[in-house]
Amino acid sequence: MSMDPIISVKGLRKLFPAGGTSFWRSRARFVHAVDEVTFELGRGEVLALVGESGCGKSTLALTLMGLERPTGGQIVYEGQDVTHLSGTGLKELRRHIQMIFQDPYESLNPMMTIGEIVAEPLAVHRLASNADTRAQRVQQALEDAGLRPAQAFLGRYPHELSGGQRQRVVIASALVLEPIVLLADEPVSMLDVSIRAEILNVLVELRQKRGISILFITHDLSTAAYFADRIAVMYLGRVVEIGPTEQVLKRPRHPYTKALLSVVPVPNPRLRRERIILQGETPNPIDLPSGCRFHPRCPLAEARCREVDPAFVIVGDEHKAACLLLSQDAERAEFVV
Amino acid sequence: MQATAAATSFRGFWRKLQRNRMGLVGLVMLVTAVLVALFAGAIAPYDPKDPVPITIDDIYAAPGGEHLLGKDDAGKDVLSNFIYGSRVSLTVGFFASFISIFIGGVIGIVSGFYGGRVENLLMRFTDIMLVIPDLPLAVVLVALTRPRLSNIIFVIGILGWTGTARLVRSQTLAVKQRKFVLRARAVGAGNWHIIRKHIFPLVLPLIVVNTVLVISLAILNESTLSFLGLADPTAVSWGQMLNYAFTRGATSAGAWWALVMPGFGIVWVVLGCTLLGHGLEQVLNPRLESHHLSAAAPITAARTERLARRDLARGPVLLDVRDLSVDFEVPEGLPVHAVENVSFTLREGEVLGLVGESGCGKTTLMLSLMRLLPAAGRILQGEVNYLGKDLLSLSEQEIADMRWKEIAMVFQGAMNALNPVHTVGDQIAEAIVRHQGARSKAELEERISELLDLVGIGPERKDQYPHQYSGGMRQRAMIAMALSCLPKVLIADEPTTALDVMIQAQILELMSKLREQLGLAIIFVTHDLGVVAEMCDSVLVMYGGVTAEYASVDTIYNVPKHPYTQELLKAFPDLSRPSEKLVAIPGYPPRLDVPPPGCRFAPRCPLVFERCNLEQPRVHRLNGDHLASCHLVEPK
Repeated sequence: MSMDPIISVKGLRKLFPAGGTSFWRSRARFVHAVDEVTFELGRGEVLALVGESGCGKSTLALTLMGLERPTGGQIVYEGQDVTHLSGTGLKELRRHIQMIFQDPYESLNPMMTIGEIVAEPLAVHRLASNADTRAQRVQQALEDAGLRPAQAFLGRYPHELSGGQRQRVVIASALVLEPIVLLADEPVSMLDVSIRAEILNVLVELRQKRGISILFITHDLSTAAYFADRIAVMYLGRVVEIGPTEQVLKRPRHPYTKALLSVVPVPNPRLRRERIILQGETPNPIDLPSGCRFHPRCPLAEARCREVDPAFVIVGDEHKAACLLLSQDAERAEFVV
Repeated sequence: MQATAAATSFRGFWRKLQRNRMGLVGLVMLVTAVLVALFAGAIAPYDPKDPVPITIDDIYAAPGGEHLLGKDDAGKDVLSNFIYGSRVSLTVGFFASFISIFIGGVIGIVSGFYGGRVENLLMRFTDIMLVIPDLPLAVVLVALTRPRLSNIIFVIGILGWTGTARLVRSQTLAVKQRKFVLRARAVGAGNWHIIRKHIFPLVLPLIVVNTVLVISLAILNESTLSFLGLADPTAVSWGQMLNYAFTRGATSAGAWWALVMPGFGIVWVVLGCTLLGHGLEQVLNPRLESHHLSAAAPITAARTERLARRDLARGPVLLDVRDLSVDFEVPEGLPVHAVENVSFTLREGEVLGLVGESGCGKTTLMLSLMRLLPAAGRILQGEVNYLGKDLLSLSEQEIADMRWKEIAMVFQGAMNALNPVHTVGDQIAEAIVRHQGARSKAELEERISELLDLVGIGPERKDQYPHQYSGGMRQRAMIAMALSCLPKVLIADEPTTALDVMIQAQILELMSKLREQLGLAIIFVTHDLGVVAEMCDSVLVMYGGVTAEYASVDTIYNVPKHPYTQELLKAFPDLSRPSEKLVAIPGYPPRLDVPPPGCRFAPRCPLVFERCNLEQPRVHRLNGDHLASCHLVEPK
């Protein structure tokens, strides 16, 4: 697969101060929310960013949207460095990159009608000032998001809609600007099972019809597997494995990915797998473990894992993982690319 | 279209206010006062500005004749003075409060929204203003600027905004945190747009309530100033009437009418404002209405016939639920049929999965087993047999003794309900003491350590507080608490929903271990079909309050008979088969107050035929323990 990146992220870092210096503490402490993350999002691609809560996936999305200022690294959109954009430049960028939030109950203003909510981005960007064009674009966006006929929804308020319909409104209000990239942060995790598939299928359709690239942020490997072309697994602020969905599922290389895959409940009572249950919890992102950040919980950890922070090793076609045990394999030329 | 929607919401508000007696009384009181002020010229028998010739008899003349409320020291009609005085008092009240609300609102929104240095500066200024006593400052300012009506309004206005500023700031902070503000920012909206479109409309109801209260404060302040003699002599307010009456000998003349009337006016308006303010607050903030967990009312309808006896081949039956139906009563509405004719059994060591979408009655069913329904809930019929005892016919005291000792429950979201000011050990101790009576301290400590150890928490952590525990640890602590009296049945309502997969795996592992070690029977309420497949022996699928299908886990996943079960499985992503297309179920679950006339799943069912819309299917027994309620599986 030859990659034509629309967004590339290089060594992106976002640290939050965790209490400054004080009389007792001379060194400032930081939460390493996103720590040296590198990946590319291809044109028309769906990339799933998978990880447990606190691994930094949501902060990463907010940083890409310019809602958080990156501490370091670079974000390139269409060949242009957009890392430190602000003001008009940032506003312009937001026409191209839109975000869908997790909670459809919280992300709609209860005092506005559906028509007003979906038209709001147009007003903000002073697009389609002609009332007819505006109405048409709002209608188109609602129908693309699966709310048909759009007329029936324009005058209603969020509380009159079901959860699935609200999430469609959120999607419509992102679509109305005709974005090129969508960042979807857990778009279905708050919805009932019977409705999740419908929202996922709306997104699949959008990608096919409009060629939109989607960065799909989720904790749920099953949905990621269903929906994404590639999967990136994050652990403690870092991408530890990235590759085509099929390869990651069939041949996970990083011990964390293996463990994660083994514990995802599968709706098949006859399938009994061996589960790798990691004990304890993800360490806190203020005092990161030395060396490989996964070593304290890794069932395969060796002495050197405590010292060396592993770099990405190519383990397959477009498939990379950051683990010292793999680099040994690579030296043995098991995976010659 | 938009106008009508706004109108409906206003009408809804008006309807609620009408039902709020306190608010309505306040509103009527305030409106009367305003009407009196507006039509003073028409109502008042005399114009106080007209010069009247007076004799010594006119001074403080007693009520009677043409002068219903007597005369004042200048021989003028007290009733007319009172009516015209309302104009001055209300003018000061309204205009001064508008100034206060404007200043307070702007300072509150700006400091709440921008935060940081701006907020620090504005709020410290507000604190200083709050500390300075209003009245002496007002006296000084009015004295300096000459007591003209406009000056008085201005001074009262600029001194009365501090409360509003603090209130509006905290509300702004709350609204600012909400996701739709973040979404507007992601769209590219600037600060001004966000304040205007998203913050202000949500702060407005609070400002309206506050305005009413500030009006009453302004009127009180004006009266105080007037009483102290700082008033515009050309515009006589109620406060000023009091001042004149007091300083010009009304008390020694025994002329109570000159004192009572203005006092009555002030009390009337202030009381009206306060009542209306409280009424508005209740109408605009529905959270002030309470919702309690309490015992369900006794069973109202007759028992139904028992289902055929199940085979008792596998282990002793602990819990046998038959034809249980639960309604919720809704004020001014049809009752909601939350659970209808649900039956299942639970054996020792069995894990039963209870599956269904939100609102399908899962939690209600579980709460009714323990008779913990909210006050509006009513068990209509059915039986809950626990080891041969019908829990529904026990007295309140008897069922209270059963809870926790026999059947315990881990409530949904309970891990966030630990009390933050007590240690986890103390909270477990509380559960033990409440249900098993006091024990010796040492024995209690030992039991707590045992329980914590059982759920995989190091006993040394019993003296820690909930905030020192992670989400997974808190859930373990909740399980320890549920196990504190060694129940035989554990009901776990969505115990892993908010947890990460790895933590979920840990909790599931723990529950399997408990079942093996203690022979614990578990009812696992969840919407995650993956978890059910891994954990459960049998599955009860509920849809819209009724049993859709009930069978062993293998049957449910491999030969499901009910179309809802089949569709649900198609809608659920399976990691082991990632290329399978997910098929959504169109539409959404039925409203339980007006359920569809026939089968509740008919409107969404792909296999629907005529009969489904007319007749609700019975629960059919297919073979052995496989139950399904669908016309398609009806035995010939």
